[in-house]
Amino acid sequence: MMAVHETQGEEEFADEPTEGGVDEVEARVGLAYTLKQVKRDSTARMGFYIIAFITAIAAFVSIDYYLLDYAMAKAIPFLHHPERDPEVINTLLPPVGMENGLGSGTWEHPLGTDHRGRDILTRLIYGTRIAMTVGFMATAIGLVGGTLVGAVSGYYGGWVDDVLQRITDTIYAIPFLVLVIAFMSAFGRDISYAMVGVGIASIPVFNRLIRSRVVSIREEEYIEAAKAAGVKDRNIILRHVIPNSFAPVLVQATLQVGVSILIVAGLSFLGFGAQPPTPSWGQMLAASRNYMLPAPTFSIWPGIAILVTVVAFNLLGDGLQDALDPRINN
Amino acid sequence: MGLLRYTVWRCLQAIPVLVGILTITFFLTNAIPGDPVSIMLGPTPSAEMVEQIQARYGLDRPLHERYFSYLAGVAQGDLGHSIYYDVPVLTKIIERLPVTAYLVFSAFGFALLTAIPLGVISAKRRNEPVDHVSRIVALIGVSTPSFWIGLLLIIVFSFQLGLLPATGLFLPWADPANVRGAATQFDVVVESFKRLLMPMVALGTLQMASITRIERSSMVDSLQNEYVKLARAYGVDERGVIWKHAFKPAQLPVITIVGLGLSTALGGAVLIETVFEINGMGRLIIQAINNQDYPLVMGTTFMLGALYLVGVIITDISYAYIDPRVSYGEK
Repeated sequence: MMAVHETQGEEEFADEPTEGGVDEVEARVGLAYTLKQVKRDSTARMGFYIIAFITAIAAFVSIDYYLLDYAMAKAIPFLHHPERDPEVINTLLPPVGMENGLGSGTWEHPLGTDHRGRDILTRLIYGTRIAMTVGFMATAIGLVGGTLVGAVSGYYGGWVDDVLQRITDTIYAIPFLVLVIAFMSAFGRDISYAMVGVGIASIPVFNRLIRSRVVSIREEEYIEAAKAAGVKDRNIILRHVIPNSFAPVLVQATLQVGVSILIVAGLSFLGFGAQPPTPSWGQMLAASRNYMLPAPTFSIWPGIAILVTVVAFNLLGDGLQDALDPRINN
Repeated sequence: MGLLRYTVWRCLQAIPVLVGILTITFFLTNAIPGDPVSIMLGPTPSAEMVEQIQARYGLDRPLHERYFSYLAGVAQGDLGHSIYYDVPVLTKIIERLPVTAYLVFSAFGFALLTAIPLGVISAKRRNEPVDHVSRIVALIGVSTPSFWIGLLLIIVFSFQLGLLPATGLFLPWADPANVRGAATQFDVVVESFKRLLMPMVALGTLQMASITRIERSSMVDSLQNEYVKLARAYGVDERGVIWKHAFKPAQLPVITIVGLGLSTALGGAVLIETVFEINGMGRLIIQAINNQDYPLVMGTTFMLGALYLVGVIITDISYAYIDPRVSYGEK
């Protein structure tokens, strides 16, 4: 029974490892330890702040969309209705301070207007909802799916491992974007299918990572001890194996959110993501394609939004990697 | 196990994955809502014609029967018949594949030629200004949507400066008679290269950035090896240390990234071919989906998967070739 107690202790400890007298090596798996390391790394900190900022915007925008029917967008002075065409239609206006053949920019629309006269800044801000929701949710699906598959596969080995690994190899062999497009053409061109499709397509990434960790952890003495003490396989996987793979998975998940945002932008660009008039960055870029000659700035803003968001996730991911890499720490 | 046997072994290992790809694409495409027959015959077809068409494409048979006959067909090199174009799927793929291959290979050429020097210099001058610049370039490169780079290039080089044509791509050995404004083969080569530049850069930037990152970190590790220190101690000049001693062993992770990057690049080709209106495999797949031409969807998806597997096998073999420690898959 000792092993079971230790197990539970360790699991709690993975979340709140602030108790004293903790072994330095074990402490590396903890969340608080990770946050402390991230705080010390200036690039990771920058990535974290940008992500926090964009997530806050996305949360605000989601509340406005789901609960308030864009009441906030109408109430806040510099925002406009993100979906409806305006009453006075000024299409393809340039950003403030610039001029194009169709007019000159005004403070009313700081980044200009799109092909239907809607405010680009508003649509960029409201586009965070799709990007962040899909980015986080798809990664969560891939993370949970990949962790389960990888843990089971690595822990049991044998034919279970063979079958599961051949399936994920197959998923991995089809180019990510092509797989998601095929998936969406089968089920529907809805953003929720994009989310699930990207999630399923990223299962192999986490599977590989977890499986290789599990195979190496499986032989550790404390797992043997737990087995000898009669702890169930399921509990060993959930309480020992998965918490011990925390660090590399966290790094990969952070990077994967960025990848998912890029993929979803590409899907929306091809017409497979969020459907108009819902504001999404990829779909704004798709619309801007037809107006590159009269209004070149229209194509610039959504791309910058994607770039900044993905850079933030990459900064945080790289920072985490450095923070959790024992070679660099020592 | 010799290199040849290893190669054969890796090819055999790919077969279950190929069957898996066929299975996934078959069941996904057969779940596509909408009926290809109604697309071909319009909204009010006669029952007789519907039956005729269904019999022709085997749509009247049960799903599992169609699945096994499809697998048997593919094993014999028959990828089915395109409903929309009314030609064998393989014919359509052979028509579209060379342009995509031209684009993807050029993108990797561009990526390797820029990334390797950048990564090596970055590793050599670690934490100096040139290293910071190259790391920022690489960070932005992995974070930028390729199709957006394509749009920006078109805006600047086609619409603002008028230097390069915005759309279309053909092979350098295309017949001059089919290329507008080209008199000789040389004109075709020049025009083909001009059309290649922008899509190549747009598609290659992500690869360039990820290769630069891995090249840098791998070279940093390699330069800390004992034998590198020893070479320095023996008075080998810095250039010799880097290129003769540190470079080659550092290329193994780079090869892995290139192999994995092939999958991303083939997916990216779908976007880049859409942006530049290039009639390659990527655009074919989108058109096939929009036309609900599912034999063609299955065929193109399978082909892209197969291409990636070929890339992975080449990667594994070159890995084994470069690194004598790889035991050709023996346990």
